[in-house]
Amino acid sequence: MVDNFGAIGIILIFAILFPIVMLAIPKMVAPRKPGKEKETTYECGMETRGETWIQFKTNYFLYALVFVAFDVETIFLYPWAVQFRKLGTFAFVEMFIFIAILLVGFWYAWKEGALEWK
Amino acid sequence: MNYALLAPEITLAIVAVVILAIGLMIPKGPHKGMVPLTILGLLLTMGVTGGQFAANVHGTFLNGMYYADNYASFFKLLFLTAALLVVLSSTEYVQKLPAHRGEFYALILFAALGMMIMAGSGDLITLYIGLETMTISFYVLVAYLTEDGKSSEAGLKYLILGAVSSAVLLYGISFVYGLTGSTVIAEVASSLGSSISPAIILALVMVLVGFAFKISLIPFHMWAPDIYEGAPTPVTAYLAVASKAAGFAALTRVFLIGFQQQVYGGSPEVVLAVLIAVTMIAGNLMAIPQKSFKRMMAYSSIAQAGYLAIGLLAGDQAGVKAVLFYAMIYVFANMGAFTVATLIANAQGSDQIKDFAGLARRSPFAAAVMLISLLSLAGIPPLAGFVGKFYLFSAVINQGWVSLAYIGFVMSMVSVYYYLSVVKTMYMEPGEGLPKIGLGGASKFTLFVTMIVTLFIGIYPTPLAQMAISAAKSLIR
Amino acid sequence: MLIEMHASFQWAWLIPAMPLLSFLIIGFITKKWPQLSSTISIVCILTSFVLAVWIDFGIFFSGVGASLVDHPFQATVHWLTFSGVHIGLTPNTFGLDFGTLIDPITGVMLFVVTLVASLVQIYSVGYMHGDKGYARYFAYQSLFAMSMLGLVLASNLLELFLFWELVGLCSYLLIGFWYFKVSAREAAKKAFITTRVGDFGLLIAILFLFNKFGTLNFVDLAKLMGPGFQNAIVFGGMSYLTLTAFLLFSGPIGKSGQFPLHVWLPDAMEGPTPVSALIHAATMVVAGVYLLARTYFLFQHASPAVLEFVGSLGTFTALFAATIAIAQNDIKRILAYSTLSQLGYMVMAMGVGTMTAGMFHLMTHAFFKALLFLGAGSVIHALHEKQDIWDMGGLWKKMRITGTTFAIAVLAISGIFPFAGFWSKDEILGTALKNGHPVIYAVGLFTAFLTAFYMTRLFVIAFMGPEKKENHPHESPWMMTLPLIILGTLSVVGGWVAIPAHGFAYYVRPWGSVYEPDPMNWTLAGISVVVGLAGMVSAYGIYNGKESDPLAAAFPRVHTVLKNKYYVDEFYAWIIKNIVDGIGKVLYWFDIYVVDGIVNGLAFLARFLGNWFRKAQTGQLQVYAIVFFFAVVALFLIITIGDGQLAALTQLGGVR
Repeated sequence: MVDNFGAIGIILIFAILFPIVMLAIPKMVAPRKPGKEKETTYECGMETRGETWIQFKTNYFLYALVFVAFDVETIFLYPWAVQFRKLGTFAFVEMFIFIAILLVGFWYAWKEGALEWK
Repeated sequence: MNYALLAPEITLAIVAVVILAIGLMIPKGPHKGMVPLTILGLLLTMGVTGGQFAANVHGTFLNGMYYADNYASFFKLLFLTAALLVVLSSTEYVQKLPAHRGEFYALILFAALGMMIMAGSGDLITLYIGLETMTISFYVLVAYLTEDGKSSEAGLKYLILGAVSSAVLLYGISFVYGLTGSTVIAEVASSLGSSISPAIILALVMVLVGFAFKISLIPFHMWAPDIYEGAPTPVTAYLAVASKAAGFAALTRVFLIGFQQQVYGGSPEVVLAVLIAVTMIAGNLMAIPQKSFKRMMAYSSIAQAGYLAIGLLAGDQAGVKAVLFYAMIYVFANMGAFTVATLIANAQGSDQIKDFAGLARRSPFAAAVMLISLLSLAGIPPLAGFVGKFYLFSAVINQGWVSLAYIGFVMSMVSVYYYLSVVKTMYMEPGEGLPKIGLGGASKFTLFVTMIVTLFIGIYPTPLAQMAISAAKSLIR
Repeated sequence: MLIEMHASFQWAWLIPAMPLLSFLIIGFITKKWPQLSSTISIVCILTSFVLAVWIDFGIFFSGVGASLVDHPFQATVHWLTFSGVHIGLTPNTFGLDFGTLIDPITGVMLFVVTLVASLVQIYSVGYMHGDKGYARYFAYQSLFAMSMLGLVLASNLLELFLFWELVGLCSYLLIGFWYFKVSAREAAKKAFITTRVGDFGLLIAILFLFNKFGTLNFVDLAKLMGPGFQNAIVFGGMSYLTLTAFLLFSGPIGKSGQFPLHVWLPDAMEGPTPVSALIHAATMVVAGVYLLARTYFLFQHASPAVLEFVGSLGTFTALFAATIAIAQNDIKRILAYSTLSQLGYMVMAMGVGTMTAGMFHLMTHAFFKALLFLGAGSVIHALHEKQDIWDMGGLWKKMRITGTTFAIAVLAISGIFPFAGFWSKDEILGTALKNGHPVIYAVGLFTAFLTAFYMTRLFVIAFMGPEKKENHPHESPWMMTLPLIILGTLSVVGGWVAIPAHGFAYYVRPWGSVYEPDPMNWTLAGISVVVGLAGMVSAYGIYNGKESDPLAAAFPRVHTVLKNKYYVDEFYAWIIKNIVDGIGKVLYWFDIYVVDGIVNGLAFLARFLGNWFRKAQTGQLQVYAIVFFFAVVALFLIITIGDGQLAALTQLGGVR
């Protein structure tokens, strides 16, 4: 027990010390000459334009959600289609129920105007 | 594959889809006709579930992935009752909603469906599906008042925190799968045996946390006050009652079947006991300074979750029975209180405790129901809450956790303070200038039912106790 | 053994249910219509009466009566189950039932209670006519009838205790019925508080029994009683059962007005007179005697000292109250002390070992004492609320029915052959002598003399004394005289149930006992009758034609003591004023500064902690999420360390 806890203690001490040391060394060693270019968040890449906190249309989400729903449906349809002959009538009916439920949802989305870009 | 076992779920699914479709077909307006339809659908489902319960149906599905036993049936009845009471109590409230009145009922039904799946599932993935079905419905319901900043904020908070908790739960489930090669709870148990390792503990903790979030055990309760306060009042009631019960339904099955040997007797049991103690203490204490009724009830419901979890900690038949019993009476007590709060919100547009002033004169019946509900929540005999707490505490004392029962007793007494502060406002303060509260037929009926049940079960608890015992026996043999 | 039971037994629950129904109907619906309310109440109690007669027919005339003594019929519903609690002899689970128990004792009580309650309610229609609280009165009457019948039918002690408290409540409500009178309010409080002293002991006794046996059902308790429980000494040389029996007896001391808790009963006369007849003469006050009969098995298995104590206390109360009655002038107070005295007789009977005679006297006493009270009510009604017997006089000629029935009742209570009181009183005294209690017999006999004396005194002064000019008495309406006639008849014939081979004793006896025919001892009976007649004759000689009390003039000192009821009330008042109040003041100080200090401190602490905890609830989503994740990590680490898995954690999570 003591050995085990000893090991843990050593790991713990090392784990605490290591990051401190790693942060401390550059602080001590590196020269500090701040400049405009150095203070920017990203030193490379495109310049940002305007506010980053902008609102964008929720219709994106709605499209995305409808898309995901049908995506998942398709994923279900593939294995079903492969094994279709083996599974028989029952699976056929089942898949139709599944699609029917999905269609009600789709109908709902359509009716509520999720597909219209206003 | 006996599909008759799935009859309640199938019925409710069809009803929900049909209600959604009807909501689309009828012209936009008050949607008044949807209430009786929804109630009819719920009653139909209750009938099917009740039939299964009475027949003591016991079956499994797909190699133990899904159960149809009395334990599940009891919880299904509970969820359906809660949904029914919510629909009844919110009929007037829904008329005042700005938009999307038709979907309100469909969402409540979908949430109930999710809970039913949670109660029945014997497989972690199925469980997760049920959980998400419920939770996603709730995301929408919480944010229903699109014009109201608080409601939207609550919705967003619930969405993010709910997603976080789902992620943790899913992570835990993936660990379980990695460790045992199965997600079927019974197989997980046999594969784990009594072994314990940090990885198992990690999986266990993550699964526990996923549900602890839903039942709002401290310290996973942070979401509850904000979301309870922001959500539309009937939704808050539904959230407090049904969502919590669903969390317990799933957690109890997972713990008692899946991780029985890991949890009980080891340090997880102790940690759970500490969590429960903290939940009871802090939940009750934090309720005291609250000014908003819904916020107070949020803390109260946190504390109630602590009481309920006591039965889970006991982990035997008596404990499970106590959880089932208490969860059921909690539905009625809480729905009674929230129905009155809904009435107040409807008439005065507020949920502050001070706006309950003079309710005893403005609507004596509503005030009386509020009184009885709150006293039942506090556990005052001869109301149902007392019997429920008695079962819970005696179950846990029998397992040796006397200290926890003491904390429960003391905190119940503390809870009387803030419950009675509402009563004091209703009965002692004049409340001049506040409007009379008109009771619609549906609200009156809800209030009447909750009051009668709370009184009746308090005086003669045996019928419900027998149901709970039969359900507990189907879980633990 | 399966006994073919009478079909009526399972419907016994309807008997208390009917008055309850009437109470609910009057209380919630018809209280605005007095006549309708009283009609409902009377119809319900009469239904109960018919049911009771049906059940009694089943008990006594269908051949199952004897087997009921050993195997009482029970119909119970399960009320509560407590699992996982170990108490007494039960292994793991115990339950409480709610139900009805039927044996001959119940049968007798059912008949008496429903009969007297019905008659009193009919009588009240006339007596309470025009009272403002008419509907309320009948609501209370119904509630009382429900409670009393529930008490009689109770199958376990807890159920009995519930109804025991309910009848106490009804008594309180009805004594204080005219709540605008200060004296009525005070009397109601006094009755409630005094009986509560006894109830406390009863409750403790119930808890004792529960603790030891794990059941409260009478039949089960009787089966579990055994000599084994005698040995365990718990307190001052008393065995567990003995202590329990003593505590249990404190219930009857309070309820049945035994010394020293008798003080409430005379004051209870502040209630309407029919209430006095029903509650404070015929039914509620005998609940204590009924309890003794019901739990007689306990007293049989406890040390004999308990029964000796019971018998002595009963005898003392009988004598004590009878002496006070001699010097009283208020007609209702005389009857109240007479009731106390007769209750003493019943308790005496229990004490000398004859539960049969006690129950017998309970029944006959219910008939003639209810009759006396109703007769007194009729007189008071006729004289417009005059209650002093010296203000009456000459009523015999004006009120023939009341006078005749009153005379019958006086003969009955005086124990004159062949009236009802003769049979029961004689049986008590005879058994006392037979079971070796000559002192009790002698005192009982002397009390019989006193009883005859003061009852004749009352009758001679009130009915035969000189007529008063200012009084214009008239006979009461038929609604009031009809009950008098019925009760008068029963006061004559009520004792005859004892005649053919003593049918009463054949049925009403302790469970499991063997019936021993006990032939009449005509010598003793003769002595009793002679003593009774002597009392009547001496009273007639002293009081006939007098305008004031000659005894008061002859023995002023004794008379003053008796008139002031031995100063017991004053003594209690002194104790309360000087001792209890003193203790109260100390406790009050303790309460204000210590208890309240702690409570307020706790409340403050709770509020403070609540506020402090609340600070964590910032409303910021990020904080919530951070708490969530840290809690997950913390839980994981705590459990891992707790399960001693930390070492395994260092080896890549211990995944093998």
